[in-house]
Amino acid sequence: MIRWLFGQTGMPPKSTAGRFLGRAGAGPVKPAVSPKALFKRRVSLWTGGTDVPPPARAAGLELRSRGNEDKLAAAAFTRRGLVLSLAHAAAFGALGSRLYQLQVLEAGEIAALALDNRTRIIPVAPMRGRILDAAGNVLAANREVFRILVIPDRGGDLRELRQVLGRLDPIVTLTKAEQDKLVAKARGRARHLPLLIADGVTFEQVAALQLRAQELPGVQAETVWTRTYLAPGEREAQAMAHVVGYVGAVDKWALDDEPMMRLADARIGKTGVEGGMEAELRGAGGQVQIEVDARSRFVRRVAETAPLAGRDVRLSVATSLQVQAMDRLARDGRPGACVVLDCVTGDVAVMASTPSFDNSQLMGPQSRAVWQGLAANLDKPMVNRCIAGQYPPGSTFKMVTALAGLDAGVVTVKEKIECWGDVTYAGHTFRCWNRKGHIASDLHKALRESCDCYFYEVARRVGMDAIAAKARELGLGQTYQAGIAQQKAGLIPTPGWKRNRGKAGWLIGETVMAGIGQGYVLATPLQLAVMTARIATGKAVTPTLVARAEGEPAPAFEPLASSGASLEAVRKAMIAVVNEPGGTGQAADIDDGKTVVAGKTGTSQVSRASADRDRTVVLDIKQRDHALFVAYVPADKPRYAVSVVLEHAGGGGAMAAPLVRDIVKMLLAGETPAAKVGPPAEREPGLKRADAG
Amino acid sequence: MFESHRSLSIYEKLGRVSWVVVALAGVLAGIGVATLYSVAGGSFEPWAQRHALRCLAGFAVLIACALVPVRAWMVGAVPIYLVALALLAAVPLAGSEAMGAKRWLSAGGMSIQPSEFMKVALVLVLARYYAALPPASVSKPVWVLVPLALMAVPVVLTLKQPDLGTAMLFAGLGLGMMFLSGVSGWYFTAGITGVVAVLPRAAAHLHDYQRKRIEIFLDPASDPLGAGYHITQAKIALGAGGLSGQGYLKGTQNQLDFVPEKMTDFIFAMIGEEWGFTGACAVLGVFAALIGVLFGLAFANRQGFGRLVIAGAALSVSIYVVINVGMVTGLVPVVGVPLPLISYGGTAMLGVMVALGLAMSAHVHDGR
Repeated sequence: MIRWLFGQTGMPPKSTAGRFLGRAGAGPVKPAVSPKALFKRRVSLWTGGTDVPPPARAAGLELRSRGNEDKLAAAAFTRRGLVLSLAHAAAFGALGSRLYQLQVLEAGEIAALALDNRTRIIPVAPMRGRILDAAGNVLAANREVFRILVIPDRGGDLRELRQVLGRLDPIVTLTKAEQDKLVAKARGRARHLPLLIADGVTFEQVAALQLRAQELPGVQAETVWTRTYLAPGEREAQAMAHVVGYVGAVDKWALDDEPMMRLADARIGKTGVEGGMEAELRGAGGQVQIEVDARSRFVRRVAETAPLAGRDVRLSVATSLQVQAMDRLARDGRPGACVVLDCVTGDVAVMASTPSFDNSQLMGPQSRAVWQGLAANLDKPMVNRCIAGQYPPGSTFKMVTALAGLDAGVVTVKEKIECWGDVTYAGHTFRCWNRKGHIASDLHKALRESCDCYFYEVARRVGMDAIAAKARELGLGQTYQAGIAQQKAGLIPTPGWKRNRGKAGWLIGETVMAGIGQGYVLATPLQLAVMTARIATGKAVTPTLVARAEGEPAPAFEPLASSGASLEAVRKAMIAVVNEPGGTGQAADIDDGKTVVAGKTGTSQVSRASADRDRTVVLDIKQRDHALFVAYVPADKPRYAVSVVLEHAGGGGAMAAPLVRDIVKMLLAGETPAAKVGPPAEREPGLKRADAG
Repeated sequence: MFESHRSLSIYEKLGRVSWVVVALAGVLAGIGVATLYSVAGGSFEPWAQRHALRCLAGFAVLIACALVPVRAWMVGAVPIYLVALALLAAVPLAGSEAMGAKRWLSAGGMSIQPSEFMKVALVLVLARYYAALPPASVSKPVWVLVPLALMAVPVVLTLKQPDLGTAMLFAGLGLGMMFLSGVSGWYFTAGITGVVAVLPRAAAHLHDYQRKRIEIFLDPASDPLGAGYHITQAKIALGAGGLSGQGYLKGTQNQLDFVPEKMTDFIFAMIGEEWGFTGACAVLGVFAALIGVLFGLAFANRQGFGRLVIAGAALSVSIYVVINVGMVTGLVPVVGVPLPLISYGGTAMLGVMVALGLAMSAHVHDGR
């Protein structure tokens, strides 16, 4: 077999040259050929002729069958051809089996790779929930914004991009520098990524763009929903900005499992209710599965999961009341804060902080300048002082000390403690605000006249840990689930807290100072309002800025641990502060003949200089005392708890008490029927919400 | 046996053309047009239309070649070879570069690939050589060296371009024709042994891109988005096709541009994805039928020259198919060889048509 396939053709060996030339004849060639003739024939052979004499050539003799020899050659060719055919069959068989392997056996796993290759999942942001005030006016909503993008890839090379940018001129005018910037940006990244040319363009611009789409390859318009803050006017916007807050780009640390938060346009609530109610407002992201080509360009939509729109949040704050409170607060010309709580429900009725800002401007085209202006303002208008302003509570803290002492039994309601203007503990002298002293005070008189010595002594007796525990019980030193972001916890110091901070041991003097709300103690106006509400009601009222749904019952708060008798004694003293001769807060009396206000003044020292009552120089404004006042009203059936802080305004009784009086008047006036609040808010036309109603 | 000495009329010649071969070539060209239509996303522009026109021109050339008396081809073999050699040698001097290789000659707005003409010329000159060489001498060392030299010169020239695929084609074509001509099997045994021994050393002389292709061929996963991309994406496309394919015009991997060179060297991946295993095998079957028919014609041919020309045409088609499909399926390194008649490309199409035309000429004029 092998021999048959590969063997010799079976011809007897002959002289090669002779065979070569002998093709002409039917028989073997005669050896008698001259070398010259042989050469000639060879040359003619290689130049295409044959070595056949012309007559033979004309007859085509050289191509005709030459009998046995040719038959043998043909047979050899066929054998070799069959071998080659078999090799072909093997090669094709190998290709076929390889195809079988790839297309049938491994098809499943390869198909998965293929799917992976061409699908991209793009998160889709849901419509953010709106924010409405207590009266149903829309304060925060979403607005459709047009923007113009260019995908450089579709416009060819970057020179073409520049031309396209130039041709945009009547629609969007870009300066040379802006064009250069865009081209440089395009150079630095993948061509298929869209570049933002203009944001917030008008519908007319988009329409003009569509008309000229042919000459603007790669340019496209897109609509996005952006947050917009709606208030009827500047006053309302300023009044509500701290409560509503604003949204901003998502910080890296704020990224969570929600994929849509990774979108470049994603916005997250930063402050106010926008931040505090983020989970409600945000909704759930949807996704679009798209097919892309090898350059990641969109080809078609494969599947879609609709996003779930965020829920609307209605505030407990009514814009109209808030505006009034802001106006009154601003009248004193000092940065300040005012919080009004509904004692029964914990609803925040007023949360006013001055100075303020207009959150709608933060979203607008001049946002950068607005931000810079706000950041440069030394009065820090971006800080919501109600929740983030931490002040020494001063004398408003004396209720805490009193309750701690009464509940611990270290002092009784009746016990009188002497005060001669100052008192000395461990070699340090602590002064009462009244240099003449209060001679001797029981709890009632001490609170009414705000005798420091009384509370120094009670604090010393009961100790810091008991004061701190009582402060926490009354809601200080903590933040609340109030639906508002960026609350500060204030500070209720304990010996343990000081130890943990690596400081020296707790001093008796520090307890004594804390007893009158100075020293380390810090509280926010919201906390002070909560404290007041808790004292007024005897229940653990917690504040909230989110209105309850229609028909939802008011929360039932737990009673406090303090005994009813202690609380009652303190309440009586607070009524005396406003209503009895010698009371420090008589300026808070609204004098309407029926409603009794209960309260407590606070004048918290910011610097040592203010403690020096013999001063002759006028203090620098930043060294002046903060004026505080906490109150609840009506005293017989507490409805509202109010707290007020005026920074560096002086005495609480002189500055803060009149403010509270006016606020209380507003509250009571607002309760009268038909108190129509503000003009009806604009609702975005055409904005339909899946979860409306 | 009786044979007419009268020359055939043009109609007689046309009657003697193997229309099976022409039909099979037509089927393949049709598959090419249809696939290129799909590659363009369901458009005759820019490839399918031109491919169809080239096919028609190619068939005209095929018939024209078939009508030329085989004796004229025999006479012209050596001059054609020399011209092809000259063109090939001119490429490094006057050629235009594309994708890191100089393969094209531009003349009057047309660019041609001399290596395609060399393919035909090599078939002709080797057939001419063995037609003249007495069967008894084919295995004599000196007469083995001559065809090796005829083959080696274009192989070296194409390797310099560098075009490994075409060089492999020339070598395969030449060796195949030597084998068919009856060169002793021992030469092939010795040659294979020698190549195996020398290969590692030859690898050192490969171009970086060639070495890289081979490395990637051995392990495509090593660089899936870089140079291994071709192979990986082609395999994904084939696998996505599965048994029955994704359907015409629906091959997602190809339509989405994932497969590179999908209109030229990797067109088989497109076919495999859209038509599946069945379609891919059917295309291979058409090629196998064409090659088989050509071999049958060669066996039936009564002239040494004719036999070899027909077999040479069959060999050139089959080597291209095996290398191309092997490359797409990851069996062979990526060497840049088109799929005959299906891949987009004018010169390659013309080369195949001329080769088939020569085979037809040998068939038509058999015994004359």
